[in-house]
Amino acid sequence: MKFFKIASAIALACTNSVLMAQTIDIQITNLTHAQHFTPRLVIAHDNSIDAFEPGVEATSALAWLAEAGVIDDAQNAASTGQNFEALLGPTDTDNTTNTWHRFDGLVAPSTSLSYPFDTMDKPYLSILTMLIPTNDAFAGLDSIKIPTTPGTYTYMLHAYDAGTELNDELNSMRTDIVAQGGAALGGYGVPGVAGAGASPVPLGVGGTGVAVTVGFAEDGSAIGANEVVDGTDGPVHIHRNVLGDTSLTDGASDLQSTEHRWLNPVARVTITIPAP
Amino acid sequence: MNINKISLVLLPLIAVLATGCGGDDGSNGEAGAAGVDGSTGIDGTNGTDGTNGTDGTNGTNGNLAVFTVQLTNLTYSQPFSPAAIILHEPGYNVFIDGEAASLGLEQLAEGGDPTEVLAEALAATQYLDSIATDGATGPRSMGAMSTLVVPLLDVDDLRISFTTMLVDTNDAFTGLNAADISNMTVGQSMSFMAPTWDSGTEANTETASTMPGPAAGAAGGGGASAGFDAARDDLFDLVHFHRGVVTNANANDGSKEGLTTSVLTEADRWDNPTARIVVTRTR
Repeated sequence: MKFFKIASAIALACTNSVLMAQTIDIQITNLTHAQHFTPRLVIAHDNSIDAFEPGVEATSALAWLAEAGVIDDAQNAASTGQNFEALLGPTDTDNTTNTWHRFDGLVAPSTSLSYPFDTMDKPYLSILTMLIPTNDAFAGLDSIKIPTTPGTYTYMLHAYDAGTELNDELNSMRTDIVAQGGAALGGYGVPGVAGAGASPVPLGVGGTGVAVTVGFAEDGSAIGANEVVDGTDGPVHIHRNVLGDTSLTDGASDLQSTEHRWLNPVARVTITIPAP
Repeated sequence: MNINKISLVLLPLIAVLATGCGGDDGSNGEAGAAGVDGSTGIDGTNGTDGTNGTDGTNGTNGNLAVFTVQLTNLTYSQPFSPAAIILHEPGYNVFIDGEAASLGLEQLAEGGDPTEVLAEALAATQYLDSIATDGATGPRSMGAMSTLVVPLLDVDDLRISFTTMLVDTNDAFTGLNAADISNMTVGQSMSFMAPTWDSGTEANTETASTMPGPAAGAAGGGGASAGFDAARDDLFDLVHFHRGVVTNANANDGSKEGLTTSVLTEADRWDNPTARIVVTRTR
């Protein structure tokens, strides 16, 4: 959500003529107990770009990020034309309305990473990163106005549910369950928690599904006994947290209720605006 | 102003009768040709314009600031009851955590009825304006825009409060408690994220007979009769931060984490914040 103030815009325009190509420092801290952050999408943009908005349906770009941690073609060729690269333009360049970068690697729980980022004089900043292992949870910084006064600014990020996939909490490493039609679990468009291999604690197997039931379609009609059908639960909203259970071999969920849950906020972002 | 143009039409010439001496009258001569039309007359001058009417007088509160308020339900499946939105001066609180809820808050938090909360606000000396949102706000959705009006001279020290029930609960509500919206400029927006409180007026049994919402309705309960109950049977009769719903998820597996008597499912859970409210000054 963006709030455009004319007075502020004028102030920014004046400031920007002095601070050409400002590079700021962005630090992100993972506050969760056992959720990794996928590569971070950092966007500096004007008020025509809105990476996500609570109460509004997610774009396919947000679905790719929130379900598979995919931002651009280089990460996953199958996402070409549907990902944030398609939405925003080439990386690390001034796309007029925005400039963006993918900061690679995972951020483990209780750790921080920081990066320099050239905002190219765009007035707003958004940051998105998927929580793994989840179906489609992401932490989001929602179009904050980039401060112009030198200093350090802290923001707490909530975990949102992209609403593009039901939260079945089924381990996508499993082969005993497939999506209806036979596709393997995981990734955009099919159920299953992405990033199962990256979890700091083991995921279970044998779960029967949380928001879905294996062997049954959403309307309750029977399908293949080892098949699960995906659905959507949008628009974007605050994630209700994973459910999990205490069994690694049965129960509804392949996540662990004692490890994988979180409460907001899930991330802290600290922005440092350097002295001119 | 136009005047009709004057048309001058010449009368047809009448043929002169020829008369012969001693002879028969001759036949009448043919009628003469019609004369040419006269020239068009000049237009008349325009009349003078009428005078403007006098301006209407301003109302008694002629200098007003106008605010629009929009609520977004951030939860996955908890509908919000009609919300009570109040603009006021500092010193008034819909509730204070750690103190007992008012009767109005109890009725809102247990039954989803904002009427008494608004009546209590109206009685406060700090009251400026209030409104109940038009109906419920569904899960994962933006609500309708509400408009509130306060005298311009109160803009420099202004607070907003709102409360709305999470209706698939015993007595959970989300809202803002006297958030500072002083000195907003025309066109400016402010966004607030709101957490969830427990009104402390009803035990969180999560049963069909104690909750008014659709989850209880699907289990054969719900409705007004399952909402407000004057008895206060929570552990402490004090407003406090909500601990979330237990639900019946995992109730029957080995973990026994769930509440077997709950009619709520894992889908009825939430994490904070549960509501976003965007305040925009439009005048």
